[in-house]
Amino acid sequence: MPIVVACFKWVVDEAYIRKGSDGKLDFSAVDYKIGEYDRNAIEEAARLRDAGGGGSVIGITVGAPDSAKGVKDGLSRGMDQAFFASDPSFKDLEPSQTAAILAEVIRTRIPQFDLITCGEGSSDLYAQQVGPRLAELLGIPCVCFVQKLSLEGGKLVADRRVEDGIEVVEAPLPALVTVLPDINTPRIPGVKDTLMAGKKPVTAIKKDELAGSFEGTLKTEAMTASSLERTGEKLAADAAGIARFVDSLRKSGVIR
Amino acid sequence: MAGIWIIAETREQALELLGAGRSLAPGMGAALTAIVRKEAGPPEETIARGADEVFLLPELPPDQPFGAHLPVIEQEAKAVSPDVILFISSARGKEMAARLAARLGAGLCSGCTALAFDKASGSIRMERLAYGGAAIQKLTSSAKPVVVTVPPRSFEPAQTMDGRQGKTRELPSPPPSAVRILERKPKEKVAKDITEARVIVCAGRGFDRKEDLALARELADALGGELGATRPLTEEMHWLPEDLCIGLSGVQVKPELYVGLGVSGQIQHMTGVRGAKIVCAVNRDENAPIFALSDFGIVGSLYEVVPKIIEELKK
Repeated sequence: MPIVVACFKWVVDEAYIRKGSDGKLDFSAVDYKIGEYDRNAIEEAARLRDAGGGGSVIGITVGAPDSAKGVKDGLSRGMDQAFFASDPSFKDLEPSQTAAILAEVIRTRIPQFDLITCGEGSSDLYAQQVGPRLAELLGIPCVCFVQKLSLEGGKLVADRRVEDGIEVVEAPLPALVTVLPDINTPRIPGVKDTLMAGKKPVTAIKKDELAGSFEGTLKTEAMTASSLERTGEKLAADAAGIARFVDSLRKSGVIR
Repeated sequence: MAGIWIIAETREQALELLGAGRSLAPGMGAALTAIVRKEAGPPEETIARGADEVFLLPELPPDQPFGAHLPVIEQEAKAVSPDVILFISSARGKEMAARLAARLGAGLCSGCTALAFDKASGSIRMERLAYGGAAIQKLTSSAKPVVVTVPPRSFEPAQTMDGRQGKTRELPSPPPSAVRILERKPKEKVAKDITEARVIVCAGRGFDRKEDLALARELADALGGELGATRPLTEEMHWLPEDLCIGLSGVQVKPELYVGLGVSGQIQHMTGVRGAKIVCAVNRDENAPIFALSDFGIVGSLYEVVPKIIEELKK
């Protein structure tokens, strides 16, 4: 009966980020969500728990206090309990800092586990570092970019996707995996899941309850809007529109 | 003397990383060290193309993954403290870069799209994409080392220079890794490499059935291009191989022409085509985000519009 730790992050939904007139990012209309890839990590943890005939899924996240919404959201997606390390300064952390805080929480509060699951990257920074860094800080084996996973006899067997194909690997437990989106289809929580989530235990951890300073190493000088906008001429689906479409292609010189 | 390291699995990676390393080395007054597998080519060539020193990674037993080299590389890094360590952001490269950074207590800039040394401040300046490509994050590092992963094909491969000399040394074999490879399944080469395509017709969720992709293929043929796809088609529906998935987490392409059919235009996908010369779209939803990110497009059902475009192209 496996104990699986699922890491997740409450992030800005990038679909609502607007570009301000000054080229800055406009976050005024944004909503938040559990990172897309982290949903696969939670689902995989729940799947392994259920396949193992019991056990539990312990969710863990690091963030500013307003990430509390994300903790409840995560609990509605199959987690049994959650650890929430929060502090106003835990906003916009570097991956190295997030990994260090997660490692400290796991070391001091989760004495026994079989597996840690992480998404392949966060939906906001997508630096793809926290998983492998966390494995190193805990001194456990690490398998990244997993698209198929099973646990048996104290080890994991995983298909990891690399550029030249698939590596089928095994590693002794406890270990850490980062999972690809096609490993499963995350559940969409129903009303009952949301109600149940409110009753599940959450352990809140404040910064001063953690040992360590969690300093960053890089400095973000600026975060500016990228410009993908083009002229955006819309044509009708009539004969004139189609003729103009093809004519524009020809004039641009891209058709040979 | 300052040091720049590149760590590569293949020749292609080594040449691009040497190109990246050489762009930094003169300003930093740094020596360039290439840590490469033997498959990355003869050390003489690596030296001729810019390395001052080559560390050869020993061959591993068949069940050992590339990551097994980590403890040896860590030890070398701790002994000589390089300033910058460069990897290609391949699956193995990304994993090893993050693990090495953790072991060295170093910062890591993932998916670095711009890299420069700022002499005045003595810091490395880096740029990367964030928020699915909606933002550019500008980072600096004054601490050393800083680890950097660069996407494939971001730097020109280093060219051969005359009269270059350097030392070569073989690194020791690492202890066995806890992760063991049971089987390697090479990729079946079903799809053409769209990263080199001049024209890409990309199919999105607007297609109702897998069979209907024939329409996209037909347009690709008419334009002399290749077929690409958005992530739902490769990872949820499995209608097309994952190599054809364009976007931040798939392949990034730079065709002369990109045509999105039934593609809504999510930022993660469109970031993958930002290098395209012309972007156009066919989508029945006039409010689809792709229109604002296109040069021009037709508002209409792809099922009605695409056959007419093909017909018009024949004229």
